This record gives sequence, C-alpha cells and structure tokens, in this order.
Amino acid sequence: MGRDAITGLVVFAASLFLFWATLGLERHPLVPVGPGYYPRLVLGATGVLALLLVVSDVIAHRRAGAPAARANYTLVAVAFAIFAIYAIALPYLGFRLATFAFLVAMPLALEPPRGARRRWMVVFVVALVVTVVTYLAFESYLQVLLPRGRWTGF
Amino acid sequence: MYELLGAGIANIIQLKYLIPLTIGTLVGVIGGALPGVTITMTIIVALPFTFGLDPLQGLSAMVGIYVGGSVGGLITATLLGIPGTPSSLATMFDGFPMAKKGEPGRAIWLGIWASFYGGLLGGIFLIAATGPLAAFALKFGPWEYFSLFVLALSMVAGLVEASLLKGLNAGMLGLVVTVLGNDPMMGVPRLTFGIRFLEGGVEFLPVLIGVFAFAQIMTDAEKMGGTQRIAQAVSATAVFAVSHAKVTWEILSRPFLLLWTSLIGVWIGVLPAIGGSAANMMAYDQAKKFSKHPEEFGKGTPEGIIASEASNNANVGGSLVTIMAFGIPGDAVTAVMLGALTIHGIQSGPLFISQQPTLAYGIFAAYLLAHPIMVVITGIAARWALKVITVPKSMLYPIVLVLCVVGAFALNNTMSNVYVLLVFGVLGYAMVKVGLPLAPFILGVILGDQIEINLIRSIMSDPDPWLFVTRPISGLLLATAVGSVVLALWQHHRAEAKKRLRAENAQADAADF
Repeated sequence: MGRDAITGLVVFAASLFLFWATLGLERHPLVPVGPGYYPRLVLGATGVLALLLVVSDVIAHRRAGAPAARANYTLVAVAFAIFAIYAIALPYLGFRLATFAFLVAMPLALEPPRGARRRWMVVFVVALVVTVVTYLAFESYLQVLLPRGRWTGF
Repeated sequence: MYELLGAGIANIIQLKYLIPLTIGTLVGVIGGALPGVTITMTIIVALPFTFGLDPLQGLSAMVGIYVGGSVGGLITATLLGIPGTPSSLATMFDGFPMAKKGEPGRAIWLGIWASFYGGLLGGIFLIAATGPLAAFALKFGPWEYFSLFVLALSMVAGLVEASLLKGLNAGMLGLVVTVLGNDPMMGVPRLTFGIRFLEGGVEFLPVLIGVFAFAQIMTDAEKMGGTQRIAQAVSATAVFAVSHAKVTWEILSRPFLLLWTSLIGVWIGVLPAIGGSAANMMAYDQAKKFSKHPEEFGKGTPEGIIASEASNNANVGGSLVTIMAFGIPGDAVTAVMLGALTIHGIQSGPLFISQQPTLAYGIFAAYLLAHPIMVVITGIAARWALKVITVPKSMLYPIVLVLCVVGAFALNNTMSNVYVLLVFGVLGYAMVKVGLPLAPFILGVILGDQIEINLIRSIMSDPDPWLFVTRPISGLLLATAVGSVVLALWQHHRAEAKKRLRAENAQADAADF
C-alpha cells in the first residue's frame, strides 16, 4: 500500500469517527437543519474524497519512488519534543525562564556545539538577549502580556 | 476615489504610520533575503508586534513586509545564486550569471527597479479594481457567497502543485477543523468531546502559524545536525554602483515585457493560493517565449530579471484585491493580514472599503509608499543583507518559534492557542511529508465558518437547493468551480501524458543507441 493510500485511510477513519459523533446532535427549533447538517455534509464529502485517494493510489500501482534524501527524523522528533516541553512548561515557569531555557536547548539540539566553548557562550548570550528584548518589547512597549509562572511567580 | 487616496497618502506620511511601514519593509527585505525564511514566516513573526498598534499601523507594517519580502529574495538570488524566497527563483536564472560576469550592481538594480515598476502597475490595478469588485459583491446573497467560497476552495485545490485529489482532500480537512466547536448559527454544542476550549471553535491564526512555521522549520531540521554556512559567491567588496537612468531605461524601453509580466503577476495574485512563486516562473517563461533572443535566457539577460521581479511584485497588488474586495485571502500572507484585521474587530469583505474607507485607502497608500521605501532600503541593504544571511538557521529558527508562541498566546491571552499551535504544527509537518498541500487546508480553515453560515442562511431563506444553481451569479460561480476542477483534471492528465511520452521517447532513443 502506498503513502497516499495510507493517508486516505487515516483521513477516512477520522471523518467516519467524527461523522458518527454528529449523529447524537439535537436539532434547534429555530433552524430548519440541525447543527449536525453541515458537519455531516463536510465529513461525508471528506470521507468520499479520502476513499478516492486510496482507490487512485491502489489503481496507480505506485511503486516506491526514488529513495528520498536521508532525513534526520530523530532531530525532528527531538525538536518537536523540546517545543512541547517548552509549551507545557510556559505556564509553570513563566515566559522568561521557559523561553531562556528553550532558546538554549533548541539551538544546541539543532546544531550541537561539539565542545566549542565559544559557541556555548554565543548560544547563552543570544538566548539571554532575545528573552530580555522580547519580554521588554511586548510587556513594556506593546502592552502584550506574557505568561507568568505558576511555580515561580516570575 | 482620488480624494480618498490623497487623504490616505496624507495619513500614511505621518511618522506614526511611516515608521511601521519603513520598519516593515526593512524586515520584509531581510526576511525575503534569508534563504529558508519565506514572506509567510516573516509576517507570522511580525504579527504579535502589531497587536499593540492601531489597525492601520499594523497593516502598514504588514504591507511593507509583503512588498519588501517580494524584493528581498532577489539579493541572495542574484549575489549568491540561492533564491531567498521561492518568488525570486526565476530572478536567479539571469541575475546570478549577470552578477558573476562582473555586473552585480546592474543585476541588483534591474531587479529593484523592475520590482518598483511592476509593483506600481499592480497598485494601479489594486486601487482601480477593489472598489468595483466590492460593489459587485454587495449584490451577493448567501447563495452567491456560498458559491464564491466553494469556487475559491476548488480553485486552490486545482492550482496547487500536488494532485487535484490531494488538494481537495487538504481543503476538506481544513473545513473539518471548522466543524469542531459550537455551531456558528445558534451556538449548539457540537463535536467538543468535553473540551471546553473547543466550544468556541479553533481559531485560524494559531492553526496557520503552526502549520506554516513548523512545516518549514521541521523540514529544514531534517537536514540539520551539522554546521552549515553559506558560501559567498560574489565578492563582498564588489561595486554595486550603477547609473540609475541607464537601468531604468533598460526596463522602460521594454514596455510590452513590463506590462505583460506585471499583468501575469496581478492575475496570479488574484487567483487564490498560487502566489509569487508561480508568478515569477510563469512570467519568465512568457518573457522567454516572446523574446527575440530566447537563447540569451539563463546567461544573464536583463529581460529575465525584469520579467521575474516585475511579476512577483505586481502579484502583491493582485493578492490584496481579493482580500479587500471579498475578504478571501489569496495566500498565507494575506491570511495573516485578515487575522490582524479580525483581532482589531474589523470585518473584512465587500463592506470593508465603504465602512472603513480610512483604513482601506490607508492600505492602498501604504502599498504605494512601500515601493519607493523598498528601493531605498534594498539599495542600501543589499550588501548588509549578505552579512545577515550568514546567521545560522539553528539560531534563527528557535527565535522564530518563540515569536510564534507569543503571537498565538497573545491572541486572547490563553495557553490553549499555544497547544493548538503545537498540534497543528505536527499536523502541518505530517501533511508536508505525505504530500498534502497546505494552501487549500488553510483556506478551508479560514472559509469554513463562512461557508456554513451562508449555507444555513440560504436554507433558512428558502429551502430550495436548486437556487444555488438557478440564481445567475451563484450558478456561474458554481459552474466556474466545476470548470476549474475539470481544467485541473485535464491539465494533470496532459502533464502525465507528456511525461509518459518523454519516457517512451527516452527509452526508444536508448534502444536506438
């Protein structure tokens, strides 16, 4: 089974599940069609198109194409994980601490310093400067409030 | 109209608007020049900075970014042979050879001035067409709106590079995102799965930011893990000084080329989803076809640079038309602008120009003024931009992500939007990996609620479904939607047939040999 067929099946399964979830919705007396009318139209069409994607892939007998350039998926997973931790930690540590830690961790993950002391310094200084400047620019100048830490109060 | 435009210009030249416009243009030029940083990413990063500004200040900055970004790409395309944005790819074909031949200044300035004239021609269309188109759209009832949005979605699905089926699937997925949350007519709870945050539905800006930022950054991260530096192709001490009169004459002495490629840019801008990246390639192709010396293309001919740069800046004018006349964003950049308007409680659509004339004509004026500002900034910044682009992406991307978080959080001071950013970031990256195009998906997310509201409104007015077809404008729009799908299928079929024929010919040649 090709990549498109798998994508189609995943989309089909998701639309089927959501379609099922709309079946219990009650109609509103003031509107001639219920709140489930439009979602069912959309999800039904999505399901049909997803199945068509599966069928077209199966008919096309897609062979595996030329091998893709070697991608560093581990690094992608690590980058997503670092971002997820940052997003989760933000309300607990506060914008300043969490952002500083993120701005240190992410560049080091994307491009390991391999022992170069100067690069460690550059990363730390950039993280500090960006955190401070962003915080001051938004909080003081642009009146945009940034998250305060529940644990740190900072 | 002229008085309003005059008032708009008088308004924009005030320092409180001129400063954000200039800073926006500068940021756009730098963002455009950075390979791997698209105009979309630049405008996403700039979005949170506009929250604290008044609407016209914010939009001026965004217009500046759009205009500057469309030009910035030519710096790296010409001097390094690496297009800063996809919309400057065709500029590289002739700009880089010209620069390598020892004329970097001529190559850069040809691009800058062609962008200037192309952009201004796009501006004339923008100002002349928006009002009449909006007035026409005022005649629309819910049937026509529904059909217009369906047309926009089907065109996007058909125009993207992926297959039509994938485009349609992506567009439908975007619509699926909008059915989560209470129904927009009566607020009846729907598909919330007990998550309180979902009751209000998913906002499109964190979705857009997540999808586009992560799709770009994570795709680049796949190739990281080592030290990357960009080599300098043109000497840092090269002389960029040229005779501006001579360069301007080189452009204006080819009026047909300038007009035709600008028109292509405008038209591609009006079509949803395909933007500068398609405009410059198509204009380059046309310029080559009409040229008396097509063999010179790719070797450093000025025609190639003029075609590419005039079209990608005219494209900006075209893109702004659809958002200002219909409230339909032509691309991700104008989608962010739409979001900025929404944040300030301003409804875009056909009423926008009549209800918000100061803002609408302010945007026109900002667009016009951004061009001379862009000429000055790009002229000065070309050499400096070469220094900025040596900033490693491993340092740049985390900062971009922090600003994405700030943008998502500050929308309504809630962490939920940051989580939406993450979830849709993962989805955006997954979509890129499986080849589902992002543009139809985002347009689906943006238009979904409006499609539902207009569908239900039309049913409430008259339950006869045939009205969608029998009302003339609605019928025409739906017929065009069907036509665009059929055209896309035919084009795809033709491309496949050509590919097969080429493969067969190659096989036959190999056999003969």
